[in-house]
Amino acid sequence: MVSKKLKVTNSEGFHMRPATNFANAMAKYSSDIKIKFNNMEVNAKSVMNLIAACIKFGADIEIVCDGADEEAALQEAAGMIESGFGEE
Amino acid sequence: MLKGISVSDGIGIGKAYIVRQGKPEYTPVSVADTEAEAARFHQAVTCFCERTEEMAENMEQTVGQKDAAIIRGHIQMLKDPYMLAQIEEQIKEGTCAEAACENVLNTFIEMFSQVDDELTRQRATDVEDIKIRMLGILLGTETQTLRDIPPESVLVTEDLTPSMTAEMESRHVVGIVTEKGGKTSHSAILARALEIPAVLSVSGAAAQLKAGDTVIVDGREGLVVPQPDQRTLSKYRKQKAAYEAEQEVLCQYIGRETVTADGERKEVCCNIGNLKDAAAAAEKDGEGIGLFRSEFLFMDKKDAPGEEEQFAAYKKAAEVFKGKPVIIRTLDVGGDKGIPYLSMGQEDNPFLGFRGIRYCLAHGDLYDTQLRAIIRASAFGKVRIMVPLVTGVDEIRAVREKVQIITREFEQTGVEYDRNLQVGIMVETPAASLIADLLAEESDFFSIGTNDLTQYTMAADRGNSQVAYLNNPYEPAVLRSIRRIIRCGKEAGIPVGMCGEAAADPLLTPLLLAFGLDEFSVSPASVLATRYNISKWTKREAEAAADQVMKLKTADAVKAFLINLNK
Repeated sequence: MVSKKLKVTNSEGFHMRPATNFANAMAKYSSDIKIKFNNMEVNAKSVMNLIAACIKFGADIEIVCDGADEEAALQEAAGMIESGFGEE
Repeated sequence: MLKGISVSDGIGIGKAYIVRQGKPEYTPVSVADTEAEAARFHQAVTCFCERTEEMAENMEQTVGQKDAAIIRGHIQMLKDPYMLAQIEEQIKEGTCAEAACENVLNTFIEMFSQVDDELTRQRATDVEDIKIRMLGILLGTETQTLRDIPPESVLVTEDLTPSMTAEMESRHVVGIVTEKGGKTSHSAILARALEIPAVLSVSGAAAQLKAGDTVIVDGREGLVVPQPDQRTLSKYRKQKAAYEAEQEVLCQYIGRETVTADGERKEVCCNIGNLKDAAAAAEKDGEGIGLFRSEFLFMDKKDAPGEEEQFAAYKKAAEVFKGKPVIIRTLDVGGDKGIPYLSMGQEDNPFLGFRGIRYCLAHGDLYDTQLRAIIRASAFGKVRIMVPLVTGVDEIRAVREKVQIITREFEQTGVEYDRNLQVGIMVETPAASLIADLLAEESDFFSIGTNDLTQYTMAADRGNSQVAYLNNPYEPAVLRSIRRIIRCGKEAGIPVGMCGEAAADPLLTPLLLAFGLDEFSVSPASVLATRYNISKWTKREAEAAADQVMKLKTADAVKAFLINLNK
């Protein structure tokens, strides 16, 4: 299991578009991917759960990946969040 | 007459077309052949995705890419593997596809609605929309289609769902009335994109309006008039014609430079209160932001926003207006704008009290945080700092010193910022007007705030209706003050703008041009009208008018003269 603590930097947070892109990107990994936020564990492959969690700008989160491709999954997840989902 | 929120400008007159929503009825049954039921469900999902994709493509043609993305989002939501698995689970236990689908989607509707965030709550509308359409497909009843809506219809419904808008024959819809929804709802955004007059949040609209009745939708005032009499009808027909003629003229000013009749270049910028307004300002062809009220970042919060949060907002505004000026007014609290956590205290005369730059200089840490965020954002565009409620040279010097300390630190630590960052002031007090010559020597620009300048010059509280007659920019005292401020700015060679309501007043345009105003900052909706008003005057005509006006002795005489001149 690998994990990383991060801050959400895009102004929209995990809203519709970022959440969809993120869930789609995570779907290709076989590992279990979770976002720990506000004492919740959110399934990172589920767009509906990501939206319901309402992770906003400035939120402190932790990504936890567990499985065969956990390193690659964590790297891509962290990259997307750190780059602000390429928000214009 | 029914009242609601006006969200999309214009007047529509047509026959009421009422769409009753609500989910299709069915009796949940338990299923024995769960595999066949699961297959039926998957077929419905496929059908849903195909039809939605069709709608999205149709929408790309009629409304645009962005709105099509909203409806495509429905596919993404329904295809969420974890949600699908939950529905499949229920079907496997013998629940029918309709009930399984409804149960699971309802849990998400509930979850989204309980979140303390407007945008997330709006997503509940999307899930509701998905649910009703899925039930329609499963039951073979389909929801009422808007593809066959007759011409000249006023669409009346509980809430305009994205799928309804997507399949609606929009050329046939002359007005929209809904019972739910606010300024930022899907319905509002789509109505504006389609340029259909709309009034939302009209409670009981579907019950009070009868199908086929003539209805007037006044999107300017947020009014709905059912069964108007002949007089009302002809009054609104005239207004509609006038509005449409005006829009046609204004459309020609999109993408054009702002110039006077004799070719002098001017600027029309926008006053905005948040990032959504910034998008509206860009859409309405504003040439920059003349006033960005930074208070919005501080309101509806438990404590002050940090440097990063502010930086992200300022940076975004700078990027929306790449290369064009974005003037950020630093926190202007006090007066009528209290912010609970800033502990402002009770004052007998808040407008004459601890507000604007006075409060900020006394709370150095809070102010430093804001200045740092703005200065960092200046690396991403033409960001400028504007100081509110200045009354003396000491205040602008104090701000400049703070800016210098911060930029010196940024030099050492290698933080990017604009080395030509301008620091200007809002001229809105009689004191600032009287020493405008001194202030001009220490400021990079002036922006005249006519709302406060008028109330302070006339010693008349803006909120007191008994003295409202004095709160009048046509007062000779106010006009002399404005003329003096602009003249002092010009003599010092700095640009002078105006961000009060007077900047958008067509009656005052010739005076402001004669005085030499460079930049007019108005609400996004007034950009094109202001550009048009400026184009009507040559410097000589404007100066001739100003010469006459400045000899008049009362506000009434000034106003009467300007009305006559504008005819």
